Amino acid sequence: MTSGLVTSGLATRQAGAGRHPNPRIRRAAAVVGVGHSDWVGDWARTRAGEKPTDACGYGMQAFNAALKDSGIDRSIIDGLIVGPTTAYERMGELLGINPRWGDQSDAVMSVLQAVMAIESGFADVVALVYGNDQRSVGTQYGGPDAMGGNAFLSYVYHAPWGLTSQGALYALTLQAYKHAHGFTERDLGEVAVAQRGWSSLNPNAIMRERITVDDYMASRYVCEPLHLFDYCLINDGGVALIIAEADIARRISSKPVYIEAAGRSDLNHGATSLEPRLTDFYLPAQQAVAQQVFDMAGMGPKDMDVFQVYDSFSVHVPLALEGYGYCAVGDAGKFLRESGVGPGGKLPTNTGGGHLSETYMQGWAHQIECVRQLRGECGDRQVADCRNVHYSSDVAGKAVSIIYSR
Amino acid sequence: MAATDVRTPRRVMGLYDKPMWESIDAREMKLQRCTGCGTFQYPPGPGCHACLSMELEWIPVSGRATILSWVVFHRQYLPAYPAPYNSIAVRLEEGPIMISNLEGETPSGTWIGERVKLVYVTMPDGVILPRFELDR
Repeated sequence: MTSGLVTSGLATRQAGAGRHPNPRIRRAAAVVGVGHSDWVGDWARTRAGEKPTDACGYGMQAFNAALKDSGIDRSIIDGLIVGPTTAYERMGELLGINPRWGDQSDAVMSVLQAVMAIESGFADVVALVYGNDQRSVGTQYGGPDAMGGNAFLSYVYHAPWGLTSQGALYALTLQAYKHAHGFTERDLGEVAVAQRGWSSLNPNAIMRERITVDDYMASRYVCEPLHLFDYCLINDGGVALIIAEADIARRISSKPVYIEAAGRSDLNHGATSLEPRLTDFYLPAQQAVAQQVFDMAGMGPKDMDVFQVYDSFSVHVPLALEGYGYCAVGDAGKFLRESGVGPGGKLPTNTGGGHLSETYMQGWAHQIECVRQLRGECGDRQVADCRNVHYSSDVAGKAVSIIYSR
Repeated sequence: MAATDVRTPRRVMGLYDKPMWESIDAREMKLQRCTGCGTFQYPPGPGCHACLSMELEWIPVSGRATILSWVVFHRQYLPAYPAPYNSIAVRLEEGPIMISNLEGETPSGTWIGERVKLVYVTMPDGVILPRFELDR
């Protein structure tokens, strides 16, 4: 399927050759441990006005769970990557880790950087730790002091005109996309319905009550055309992973989950004025990174058993279905209606319930869901004979993908 | 709270934003144009993204534009913007995309593709904002 996609333009690339120019990181490292905090219990407590712990505390809870899951001793961890929501030095201090290699990064780049550090010999066993108390501290993702506003200049730059929230940026994307491709609000509702279908089967999910497309249509708009059900949750919690060099992983784990392939492609041209999201819907970046990861893995979309999409807003999902070649450009509405991404659908997508229904861990929970599906540990929501899982994110035009395999 | 107490959300005022906002305050909005390749750019910056020339001049824009996308906020995030209110993305005739608001009459059905023209609106606290209205 790789021929016909946008190429990186490198002269050495052979179009459609199905081989990555630098496949060294393929299966160079594997996940050997995953863990998370009690999202459901902490949701109830924070809603009742309690403050169960702070961001570092959620990170520690998750790390302890991942360490236990891996069965390793903390002393063999020689790399540490900490999420962007806690101070790196403080988290390292609390975890008692003096690594020989360390970094601070977001979910998907943390996995990539762990693999790169391992392949480069800077570390053998890397802990990835994320904690966030966004609900209990009242983090605002919209308004004059919106979290991330300065990092993504775009949603403070437009503040004089009242456009300051991430949701509003995706609402603008959706409106233009609807117009370009005949996509409807009911089509988008299929995403929220499907993910709630998955979360109804997931005891770790915060929102488990199934909804219908009619429920979706009856829900209030936040920023029209986005409904309430299109928005991610805001909750406290933590996630951790332990990633080891492949030979080490095989020695210490009976079920290592390999990072089969990874890639990144960004659209920066016109970023502040929102051009890539309004005119191309980020598709060129997704097509470019699709070629990278599918070439590296020697696979295509048809080989993927589960698809995981960073879903701060539901509109990420149809764009990713088209961008990564799961359906033709312009056909996401038809794909959502007829093939389906929920339980029983052709392409199980965000099988934990995603940011919309399970937990908003800024992409981190998606990583451990990938691992658990491949280990066959997902109970009622388990996808049968799951061998390959594709994760994608496209936050602000930075398209990044990982393929995990057994 | 009197309307005049409600402040318009502050402008991002980088080194190159000041001439633009001064031109808006003078009701003659100017954008940077590259003297080398002629590309207009927004937001303003130190050099031309198209050819990397650092020789830029400030040129008044025509004010003609087309709506690329639109949203209606049903939740209030900002004191100056009680819900419901709209934000739009327009493609200026000169090329750049700009976020603004649609003043006055709104189209029935989709707003995308509607031709609009620049108007200057004085907010209750005296701040002048470039906005757009239907050009019919």
